Amino acid sequence: MTHQVLGVVGSYPLLVALWLLPLAGAVICWALGPQLRTLAGWLASGLVGASFILAVLCWHDGTQSAAGTVGANQPLFSWMTGFDFGLLLDPLSLLWTFIITGVGFLIVFYSIGYMRGDPAFARFFAYMSFFVFAMLTLVLSDNFVGLLVGWGLVGLASYFLIGFWFDRPAAVAAARKAFVINVVGDVGVMFAIFVIIANVHSSGFGDTFAAAGTLGPGVILTICIALFIGAAAKSAQVPLHTWLPDAMEGPTPVSALIHAATMVTAGVYLIARCAPLWNASHEAQLVVGTIGGLTALLGAILGTAQWDIKRILAYSTMSQIGYMIMGVGTGAYEAGIAQFFTHAFFKAQLFLGAGLVIHALSDEQDIRRMGGLWKKMPFAFWVMLTGVLSISGVPGFSGFFSKDEVIYGALQHGHPWLDGIGIVTAGITAYYMFRLLFVTFLGEYRGEAPVHVGGPGAWIMNVPVAILVVPSVAIGGALLFGGDASPWAHFFAPLFAAQAHLAAAQTPAPAISENFTSVIVVIVVAIGFIIAWQRYATAAARRDAVQRLRREAETMPAVLTNLFYFDAAIDAIFVRPAQAWGLFFGRVFDPRVIDGAVGEIVLIARGLGTLVRSFQTGLLRAYALILVFGAACFIAYYAVAGAAH
Amino acid sequence: MSVPIGDYVTLASVMFFIGVIGVIVRRNPLIMLMSVELMFNAANLLLIAYARLWLQNVGHIFAFIVITVAAAEAAIGLAIVVTTFRPEKYVDVDDIAALHG
Amino acid sequence: MPLVLVSILLPLVAAALLLFLPRGDRALSRLLGTAVAAITFATVLAGGTADWSLHWLSRPFVSAFHFGATPISFWIALLLTLCTACAIAAARVERLRDFVALLLALEGTMLGLFLSRDLLVFALFWDLMLVPVFFALVGWGEHPATAWRYFIYNFAGGLTLLLATAAFGVIYGTTDVIGLPGVALAGGWAPWIFAGFAFAFLVKTPVWPLHTWMPPTYADLPSPMTSVVAGVQSKAGLYGFLAIATAMMPGVLYRHAAPLIVLALISLVYGALVALVQNDVKRIVAYSSLSHLGLIVLAIAIGNRLALEGALVYIIAHGLFSAVLFLVLGYVEEREETRALPRLGGLGWRNPRLSGALCIAALAALGLPGLAGFAGELLILIGVYQNGYVWPAIVALVAIVLASAYMLRLYQGIMNGPQRTDLPVRADLTWIEGLAVAPLLAALVLLGVYPKPLLDNAAITTVQSGPLP
Repeated sequence: MTHQVLGVVGSYPLLVALWLLPLAGAVICWALGPQLRTLAGWLASGLVGASFILAVLCWHDGTQSAAGTVGANQPLFSWMTGFDFGLLLDPLSLLWTFIITGVGFLIVFYSIGYMRGDPAFARFFAYMSFFVFAMLTLVLSDNFVGLLVGWGLVGLASYFLIGFWFDRPAAVAAARKAFVINVVGDVGVMFAIFVIIANVHSSGFGDTFAAAGTLGPGVILTICIALFIGAAAKSAQVPLHTWLPDAMEGPTPVSALIHAATMVTAGVYLIARCAPLWNASHEAQLVVGTIGGLTALLGAILGTAQWDIKRILAYSTMSQIGYMIMGVGTGAYEAGIAQFFTHAFFKAQLFLGAGLVIHALSDEQDIRRMGGLWKKMPFAFWVMLTGVLSISGVPGFSGFFSKDEVIYGALQHGHPWLDGIGIVTAGITAYYMFRLLFVTFLGEYRGEAPVHVGGPGAWIMNVPVAILVVPSVAIGGALLFGGDASPWAHFFAPLFAAQAHLAAAQTPAPAISENFTSVIVVIVVAIGFIIAWQRYATAAARRDAVQRLRREAETMPAVLTNLFYFDAAIDAIFVRPAQAWGLFFGRVFDPRVIDGAVGEIVLIARGLGTLVRSFQTGLLRAYALILVFGAACFIAYYAVAGAAH
Repeated sequence: MSVPIGDYVTLASVMFFIGVIGVIVRRNPLIMLMSVELMFNAANLLLIAYARLWLQNVGHIFAFIVITVAAAEAAIGLAIVVTTFRPEKYVDVDDIAALHG
Repeated sequence: MPLVLVSILLPLVAAALLLFLPRGDRALSRLLGTAVAAITFATVLAGGTADWSLHWLSRPFVSAFHFGATPISFWIALLLTLCTACAIAAARVERLRDFVALLLALEGTMLGLFLSRDLLVFALFWDLMLVPVFFALVGWGEHPATAWRYFIYNFAGGLTLLLATAAFGVIYGTTDVIGLPGVALAGGWAPWIFAGFAFAFLVKTPVWPLHTWMPPTYADLPSPMTSVVAGVQSKAGLYGFLAIATAMMPGVLYRHAAPLIVLALISLVYGALVALVQNDVKRIVAYSSLSHLGLIVLAIAIGNRLALEGALVYIIAHGLFSAVLFLVLGYVEEREETRALPRLGGLGWRNPRLSGALCIAALAALGLPGLAGFAGELLILIGVYQNGYVWPAIVALVAIVLASAYMLRLYQGIMNGPQRTDLPVRADLTWIEGLAVAPLLAALVLLGVYPKPLLDNAAITTVQSGPLP
């Protein structure tokens, strides 16, 4: 079989540079951290920013097309046949690269203000730069092994950053949990690689996708499910989602960059990247789409029951990624990716806005001890408001367009129940996001911590947030409006258009038009908003906020406070039995059974020794007698034998 | 003119059994050593007798080896007897069982 | 004098000469020891695969003092000399001069083993390499029983190895066969000879249920010696499998692969589960070693080309990361005067360099993509899967998940958490201590990104075996 690669093979020094610059930043910040002091932050954000500029300069390389393939491919090195490594920049990875380096730059810049005065300031920026490098490795790799390397390294960066304040036991435990669950995902991707190499004899995307048509349906399904285990762990899909809320133990910029905008969407990237495989397996699409929809709904429901501002955002992230997975899983790739794109902006903005609040309240995160902040922090209020409007899907904001596409995409590809789940989830989303906004910013201030706003260097945190507001409000309308004629569809046409036409030909056009679903979504969102308003924003609610919130916390159903018992179930099914077996093997089996058996052998040997020893009397005449007796036996034997002869 | 081989065999057997009985029944190590010597010489006698009968020189050579070994054995045996005799001024092999297992 | 002979004799002679040094001069013995080990590294590197031979026996079979690296043992010899140099540089124990002499003696005898091209000489050095470890256990260990347990287990293995070698020689006519292409032993005795070799190799590796000598040995030995024993001596059995069993009796090996596969899988999971709950930090790594080496035994039992390539990568990777782990745990024990995980914690704040070294080693051990352990694991398991062993591959993947749990428990338990007030406050890694682990860490990263030098190894012979009937 001839070796096939995606993209136009050539030499692209800018691509290599944009990939390696963040690594250089990480190494410098790590090695020279104590000497650099605050310069580390400027250096790291500068290098990530430079990476973004290089990505823009690579636009032409990434979108070029020749000989039926799109993008740029820079070969790097090879381990052996079938293990060739290279960088691939095509529209899909270009989009991710823009978000990773662009939004990444804003968040790293913001961190200079947020992490000011932290004793491990430089270490933070080393980790952040390392994360950007790892994430770029993931999305730029042109083969599964390279993707897996990036996959593991982003998990590591996430581990380091969740456990950044490693004197806090909760952060340490959360970091370990996140890492172990992510290794479950890594192992899933590894298994997919086994199947791919055993069947295709190459780990390259090009070879694999070219062979996708020749593999049996069982093989494709195995590969897809194994890959999806990886995607589910990384993108916090049910039931591997439990690490994401705990991951909020990390500093807020980390939550914004890794656990909202980029890393957790790696699963979406993986599925979109492997579209040729998913297209070949309807069962896999069904499984992935269903789990995506389930996650969207479950995350939204859990989001209504949280009091920690970051955990609410975490569950909303989980829910929004559920939308994305539902989109790419059902075959509506452009819609799922669009949801990733707008989500990166508005969720980063929400997290950074929450960071402004948390920072001002000296690390207070419980919204019951907030309230009335819109007067004290008007900037944060407006930031959060636009973010909430966008995520809720209010018409005109970016979130509206992408969410609409996903919901309608599910219908278009023949999954009406997923369409229903999407609509219900949109309503719940509006409810809990407005709940967050109202409880945090309206009424009277209920906390004890003094509110610090402004101060020198506040602009470092405010400017990136202000910049993020623009795309989170407007980019959806600018790029996504217009259906198949939109710039978005045009951009991704080379990757997904053929598949879209095929799917359209196979599935009958839905009876309901896109505009009609949009109207339904808007009505449901409005219902969610009204309920939130009734419960938290009316004059009476604002007056009795303290009592009402306490009552709400006390009457919350146990199934919600226990988060649907996922943690307890994982603990009971996997963690405790493993520990019990380990204790049994280590404390009982090794010393008692194995060493016991060895002890039996020793006892037998000792008994034999005692028997033989009893002949050794030390008496010379006894030996002589035995000798004579033995000789007599010999003589007798030969005498008898000779006689018989 | 020559002594028949049967006489040699008879003599050697008698010597050998005297030696065996001496080793088993006597408790004085000196006498036991002499009895062992008697057994060696019984064997030597047979070696020489058969060597003559079959006109083979190998028997002579073996006899010399046996004499050498007997001398060495006697030297070591006497040395052991003397060292055990020295502290006690008395020696009985049944009292020497330091090598029991 | 041929370089290969210099490599073997230099550490042995140096070990003897070291005993003439003044007892108290710790720095000088360490410096000389490190220099000798470093020179040995250079001679192994320069010697390449050139060989040297001296006739020894003609009857009952032909045997020769034949030394020279094969493409497999070349890498293991490099690993050994590197680990020894680092271990001596890191050594801080009592009676340092004698300890360094023992480490050099261990290096010399193990080089003799790995560079031997003759089975009988191989068996000879197999027993000789036990001696320095035995004396170290007697002289520096906590329990004398551990020394005897180590010796008896491994000597029993040595005995079956010797018997099998003798039988091999009598049947095949010569034992001068290691690294020779086209040697194949067949016939009625072959399974018994294989069993003799395999028992010795499985005890040494070790594999469940022959492993109970290993945790106390690794825990009792001073850490620098543990790092060499766990890092390299444990590879003697695996090297034996690669150089002797798969090369000379592949038919027998693959006919009797089923029990090996079962034992390897049990070791994988058993070691991981026990490592999950141990409290002695050195025992955690000891049991993790049981788990990790089970993976290599699995690769050898399956014998697929990719799996064996991966086995060599993983042999080197495991040597590197377990050496670093034990060296760093030695630093921790020396500083905090305890090995109990529940008593440790929060060292990361004051010891960033120590923390970094332990972190990289632990990450390599849990198979982080981009470090050498991952490359080995991936190739092995691809090979395992390719030959149709789906369930063994899945079991191994479960062990990888467990590895991440126990390695993080180890790392976080020592370095993370609130600072403890009841632990002695000591300085971070010194330059020398850092330099002692730096080459090993660098090699882990380099081989993780680019394992190609280890791959396409000419000395690896494979017989494709299908799935179990």
